[in-house]
Amino acid sequence: MVVYKTLLMYWFEWIALGALVICLAGLAYHVIRLIRLGIRDDYSARAGSPAAGVAYSFTGGMDPRNKESAYLNLPTYASGVIFHIAVFAAIVLFFLFLAGVNPGQSARLILTVVAFSGAATGIGMLVKRMTDKKLRYLSNADDYISLLLVIIFLILAGFTLLFPVVYPAFMLVSALLLLYMPLGKLRHAVYFFAARIHLGRFYGWRNVWPPRKA
Amino acid sequence: MEKVTKDKIKAGLEVFRQLHDSKLLTHLNSCVHCGLCADSCLYYLTMEDERMIPANKVEVVASVYRRYHTLAGRVAPRLVNARELDDDTVEEMVDLLFGACTMCGRCVKHCSIGVDIEYVVRMGREMLSNMGYVPASLQATVNAALETGNNMAIPEEEFLDTIEWMEEEMQDELEDPEAEIPINQTGKNVLYTLNPREPKFFPLSISAMAKVFYAAGESWTLSTGMYDVTNYAYFSGNTEHGAIIGRRIYEEMEKMQANKLVLAECGHGTRANRWEAPNYLKKAFPETISSVELMASYLREGRITSDKSLTEEPVTLHDPCNLVRGGGIVDEQRYILKSCVQHFVEMSPHGLDNFCCGGGGGQLAMGEYNDRRLKIAEIKAEQIRKSGAKIVATPCHNCVDQLSQINVNFKLNVQIKTIAEIVADSLVIEPKSPQPQNPQSQNQQLQNQQSQK
Repeated sequence: MVVYKTLLMYWFEWIALGALVICLAGLAYHVIRLIRLGIRDDYSARAGSPAAGVAYSFTGGMDPRNKESAYLNLPTYASGVIFHIAVFAAIVLFFLFLAGVNPGQSARLILTVVAFSGAATGIGMLVKRMTDKKLRYLSNADDYISLLLVIIFLILAGFTLLFPVVYPAFMLVSALLLLYMPLGKLRHAVYFFAARIHLGRFYGWRNVWPPRKA
Repeated sequence: MEKVTKDKIKAGLEVFRQLHDSKLLTHLNSCVHCGLCADSCLYYLTMEDERMIPANKVEVVASVYRRYHTLAGRVAPRLVNARELDDDTVEEMVDLLFGACTMCGRCVKHCSIGVDIEYVVRMGREMLSNMGYVPASLQATVNAALETGNNMAIPEEEFLDTIEWMEEEMQDELEDPEAEIPINQTGKNVLYTLNPREPKFFPLSISAMAKVFYAAGESWTLSTGMYDVTNYAYFSGNTEHGAIIGRRIYEEMEKMQANKLVLAECGHGTRANRWEAPNYLKKAFPETISSVELMASYLREGRITSDKSLTEEPVTLHDPCNLVRGGGIVDEQRYILKSCVQHFVEMSPHGLDNFCCGGGGGQLAMGEYNDRRLKIAEIKAEQIRKSGAKIVATPCHNCVDQLSQINVNFKLNVQIKTIAEIVADSLVIEPKSPQPQNPQSQNQQLQNQQSQK
């Protein structure tokens, strides 16, 4: 079905597919570079388990009850979670469309709600970034462009499900987003995982993570 | 500040060119500027200056990286905030990385992504060190260690006098003329180190630990060759200097043929020797433990006995960042305090979440930033006040110094003690039967030998 669909693809779908290939190549460059650089041998005597540290880094270490960044900022934390769930859902939708798969009615309804919820939280985050003194200070053009691109991507994902006429715009914005991803802060899609692995390994080696009851 | 030259830029950028592994690259590319780390930083919390948000400390290093090592940074530097390593950038780096960070790592634990901010700050300091921009006072501390063997430049004679004085005090207190503080004895089980602040300002903490060794019947020694547990090159960012200082302890261990190296109560000293120095030297160290771990083991194994009733006042604990978040020693000090005092009360927050005292990261050595150091101490002062404790125990001499200043500045009216002092105060030592003779102690013999020379 995918092969058949590929033969019948519209021009904007070809552009999106091309952007996807470039994006994956760009992200692969970052991944391969990280793998090639590897992780340095640690000559200190190991006190804990790096593997357990990494496991904790992706579980308890991200538990909102253990992180001030989450429990002191619950609305922001919740917005971030909704936003990222919506992004993943919209990416799945992008792949489904590209493969010529049309989601069922109930799936479309759920995806529409998720996409618009994500867009709403994204707009909230954008407003906060523009108005909060602290965030404004930390932000650069890349922060605004990245956020704006993702918000438009989510809005168009939602509208495409309601009004198929928007579909070409969704594909073109997706292409733009994909092309930008390896260049700007969106590449944290790769580096987030690397950061948590490094941190988990570091704390695990020194027996800091998983924490014992203090 | 001395002008930035091409050679200095080249030296600074070496940190990015010689990537040892993927760690630095990862953490330079991970921050999303969410700003949530601000709530975990005592500088931002007390000063509310956006420049001091931990993410901005990462940004100042990452922006330089982007300018020279990323496509977007080369082609469109303003788009991604990619900065030249020029006079303004260097000035900001010095101010933020040396003057506004204790490298406590609290922000790291709470970062929403998992950026090792402390590591990036350390690498930023390394850039500045390569360029010759380490604050003069901190560099002077490192130089003293490099030139004299200890960071306070204490002459050997003065050191030996202090040890002898402490030994005599201990003999009187224990009513045992054979009680000693051994020096330069080979083949002992433990080679013990000191923070030079001890012989210089707090000699009673030496006799406290000696009393613990005495009670445990430990075979131990100090060494005049190398007793300094500190390694301020970890804070100055000069790994080469760090390796020189680390190698001295390593070689002293070999020379003294001791079984294990026991590090005095010093947060960064423990970190530097236990975790960092083996990597500076690229070789495994002999067994290296903190004196806190050793004292806890004595209590657990029944080698020493404590009497809780001897310390009635409430005692709280300040967790040194490098020992706890940077070294995983969390339970031992609590076990000791619960064994040695009647009323132990935790600060809030504590353990892995504890706030730095404000003296870490080399701040106590950098007079340039004294005002900031005392300002950020507000948080610790409040923690202590709220605990209701009358004694603050901490296994770090650096923290002892800062807490002592906090005690005066914020009129807390508490006592600051090391863990060894708490243990020594609670020790139950059975008096020894009188000995037939009173042989000269090892130290006195050594002194005599030296005077003969």
